[in-house]
Amino acid sequence: MTQTPAPATAQTQTMQLGTEAVGFVNKLRVSLARRTEGRGLALLTLVVLVTAFLEPSVFTSYQVTLGRVALIGLVALGLTAVILMGELDLSVASTLAVSGVVMASVPDIWLGILAALVTGLLIGALNAFFVVVVGVNSFIATLGMLFALRGLAFVLSDEKPVRLTDIDAGIAFGAPVLGPITPRVLLFILAFIALQIFLTRMRAGREFYAVGGNRQAAMDAGIPVRRRIFTGFMISGFVAALAGVINTLERTAADPTAGGTVLLASFAAAIIGGVVLNGGRGSVLGTLIGALSLGILQVGLTFSGVQVDIQDIFIGTILLLAVITDPTNLRAALAGVRASFRGREKAQAVV
Amino acid sequence: MAEKESLTEVIAIAEGATHDPGIEKKRFNFLVWVSERGIVVFTIVLILFAVIFVNGFASLPNITDVFYRAAPIGIVAVGMTFVVISANYLDLSVVAQVATAAVIFIGVSNEYGLLASFAVALLVAMLYGVVNGVAVGYFKANAVIVTLSTTFIGLGLLRWISGGSIFFGPEDGPIRLFGQVKIGPVPLSALVLLVITVILWWVLTRTNFGFTVRAYGSNKEATRLAGVNTGLVVIGAFVITALAAMVAGFVLAAFSNTAVSAMADGYDFRALAAIIIGGTSVFGGKGSVLRTLLGVIFVSVLTNILVLSGIGFGFQQMAIGALIVAAVSVDALARRAAKK
Repeated sequence: MTQTPAPATAQTQTMQLGTEAVGFVNKLRVSLARRTEGRGLALLTLVVLVTAFLEPSVFTSYQVTLGRVALIGLVALGLTAVILMGELDLSVASTLAVSGVVMASVPDIWLGILAALVTGLLIGALNAFFVVVVGVNSFIATLGMLFALRGLAFVLSDEKPVRLTDIDAGIAFGAPVLGPITPRVLLFILAFIALQIFLTRMRAGREFYAVGGNRQAAMDAGIPVRRRIFTGFMISGFVAALAGVINTLERTAADPTAGGTVLLASFAAAIIGGVVLNGGRGSVLGTLIGALSLGILQVGLTFSGVQVDIQDIFIGTILLLAVITDPTNLRAALAGVRASFRGREKAQAVV
Repeated sequence: MAEKESLTEVIAIAEGATHDPGIEKKRFNFLVWVSERGIVVFTIVLILFAVIFVNGFASLPNITDVFYRAAPIGIVAVGMTFVVISANYLDLSVVAQVATAAVIFIGVSNEYGLLASFAVALLVAMLYGVVNGVAVGYFKANAVIVTLSTTFIGLGLLRWISGGSIFFGPEDGPIRLFGQVKIGPVPLSALVLLVITVILWWVLTRTNFGFTVRAYGSNKEATRLAGVNTGLVVIGAFVITALAAMVAGFVLAAFSNTAVSAMADGYDFRALAAIIIGGTSVFGGKGSVLRTLLGVIFVSVLTNILVLSGIGFGFQQMAIGALIVAAVSVDALARRAAKK
């Protein structure tokens, strides 16, 4: 695990021989260096400042904004669990679409929601099967699933949006229940808290970090790596299905093409929030910050009358920058530049 | 990006540490056979099946149609083979690249002539290749995520600049003429695919660059330590993909003499399916352009059979997605079987 507290405590102990203040500063420095949310916070600050200045209606009509944040954030939460272990689940966008269509196809609303969630779990299990049992690289396996499930969504829906039979439920779902909070935001907050507790306070969740940090070491330490990865994909599938349910209730119809932009935005949210793609580092809080900034950005752009095309450009650029400015990737780029200059001097490089 | 072995391999290493396998004779393994030789048999069987059972397959107009549709996907796929062999999964942004090139070839040549459109398309293709390549090669960022973001940026820019409108070429323009030329039942675009395949086969197997691409795919760290500028190798792989996508855009534009931003949707996974079914390994280092050509024939014939049987777009997408998952599963299992 990368976040071993041992050297930090050793340092603070030696510091405590000095003055209290130095110890505190040092502690603060260490705990800050351990955090991964820096870039997410920077983006959030920027987005909030710009939107507050140019489009303050984003904050006055916070119901819309929070709904968007909840949708992006839910998918991003599931992704966080998978990415922490160094795997990737690209199929979330199609899982969202398929579960939405499944839900709308079932006449009874509660049975529909149940069926949708079970669908999500099944898809997660299938992804995990290919990754864990067959041994396919998760990038390619879930990419194949992304295409296959999109096709399934088209087949199930007959290639057109499926109307929800019980439209009143959808409308009731958008009404505030707890102060200004609507059920979909409440669901997101609950999922956030649950995942936060799971990943930081429970043994199985803490082991996610170990699996992502060093898989071989985790295996040697007796962590059931296969089972943890299975759990991760199940979480991701379940949460994506939940997002599909929320999306369907919000629009009172299930669109088989849903989820394209959500995929991009939720990846951007997780990665800019500091979840490292190689696994082992990152936090649910960072994902929340990332989801907040992207949700506010999207709603802000929509309110300002910016076309969907330009929104795609914005979010695509943020994702590209988020991947590139990842500390490990920046370091790799610097090392690469240095090596390429050195290489030219030493041996005439082959290419 | 740190090299990460697949989970099952780590497990195999952990479990295999206790007993020594010793020297064993190379036994016949069905999965290894399927992943290495299967594509030839599957393609022949599929074509035979189509000729015998599918009504309307073995007619001259239909075969010409298969060629027409296979050519652009095939050109994309043989180009993308370089990215897959260099162990960078795939280039999702070919969807944006092909559509952008097609719109440029029709839109710009309507206004400023064919030569200008070639110049612009070449510039855009180089830009795609270099941006993807720098992000993946120098920043060591994940290729799937990088090309996913460039897809959205590229398609967004294309729809924004073109206004989402459909471009029509003139009825007697050179692009239209190119699209109509046929030699027997074989359209010119299929010959372009053949020529590009031969060129890229030569690049991959006979040049220094091709050798380093394959070396990089099988062992990144060793290639770097051998003094190869690995960043440039990755950029080269992405630039070749982008150039191939540009040619595919031209062929696609010539086929219908129209261009629209959504015209290349689905090219990413069709090309990936062709590459993987052909037997090029997603683990990198293993594969060839000729295999991809066979894969293209397989995927095109399969799609044609589905279309002739009146099966909808959703089922087609499901079938090809499932095919990708099945092919990578066979590849992964065969790799493990070969290591034992």
